[in-house]
Amino acid sequence: MTDFFAALENLPFSIWLRESNSIWAYPTMLTLHTIGLALLVGASAALDLKVLGWGQAIALTDLRPMFRWMWIGFWVNALSGVVLLAADATTKAAAPMFLIKLGLIAVGVVIMAAQRRAVFAPAAAITRSARVLAAASLTVWFVAIAAGRLMAYPGLFFGL
Amino acid sequence: MSHWIVTTLKATSVSHFMTGSMWAWPLCETLHFVGLALLIGVVGMLDLRLLGRLRHLSYAAVHSLIPWGILGFVINLVTGVLFFVGAPDQYLDNVAWWYKLAFLAIAGLNVLYFETTQARRALAIGPGDDTPRAFKVIGAISVLSWFMVLYWGRMLPFIGTAF
Repeated sequence: MTDFFAALENLPFSIWLRESNSIWAYPTMLTLHTIGLALLVGASAALDLKVLGWGQAIALTDLRPMFRWMWIGFWVNALSGVVLLAADATTKAAAPMFLIKLGLIAVGVVIMAAQRRAVFAPAAAITRSARVLAAASLTVWFVAIAAGRLMAYPGLFFGL
Repeated sequence: MSHWIVTTLKATSVSHFMTGSMWAWPLCETLHFVGLALLIGVVGMLDLRLLGRLRHLSYAAVHSLIPWGILGFVINLVTGVLFFVGAPDQYLDNVAWWYKLAFLAIAGLNVLYFETTQARRALAIGPGDDTPRAFKVIGAISVLSWFMVLYWGRMLPFIGTAF
């Protein structure tokens, strides 16, 4: 696995990303990653807040279009995330905070899929389990943001 | 830059705390990104409705989420001010920061204009209603300017030298 990440890191594209001074290299990828975050977590938070009782006038089924924005945000970040990983794969892949972040994203996506099934069900009602899912979704995405942000401060945790 | 604003702010205890504490800056960065997601989520939904999308929702329904958008904005205003007090020179000397502020002003004036002159008309928009052209323009200005705020904010360390 280490060989794989080393190979990834040494691709001409990865070297360009890491070493180029172009605004289109690392900075643009990081910006895309932030925009994707805003779409995914923003749309998700709006849905969660509605499920948790905010916005009474909104019917749950009315929020179906929000899933399109969540998935757009997700794919923007999956792709820009792979590119950002390629730039320094061996360091990131070994960083505990990165693995924590990936784990949280996996949990977030599972929750998102479960919420999607609930919202698209014929009689979309807000059940107790829907509220639990919404609270879990908010928590997981916010902690994932924290983990991602804290990747920039490796010394803060784990004594790396 | 050794402007008096810089020297004054840097002498404050808040400034020392922001740059001296190992935790303060990363914690504020994290909150700034959570705030960003809340703000863009709520504002984005509102803008989509103004643009005539999410049409089965009344404007009032989407509007009920606004307190959370305001919460996101306040989180980012507070953490943003803390960054500025912590290291004022890295922002004042940074062209990306001035662009960010300019787009923040455009976004703010746009909201102010809309909420003070169009709010009643907007609240009358029911489920299924299309929006007037003026609302579509306001929605487009809003979504573009907020994403420009995000863009220039993200560019702070690359175009300028902010950390």
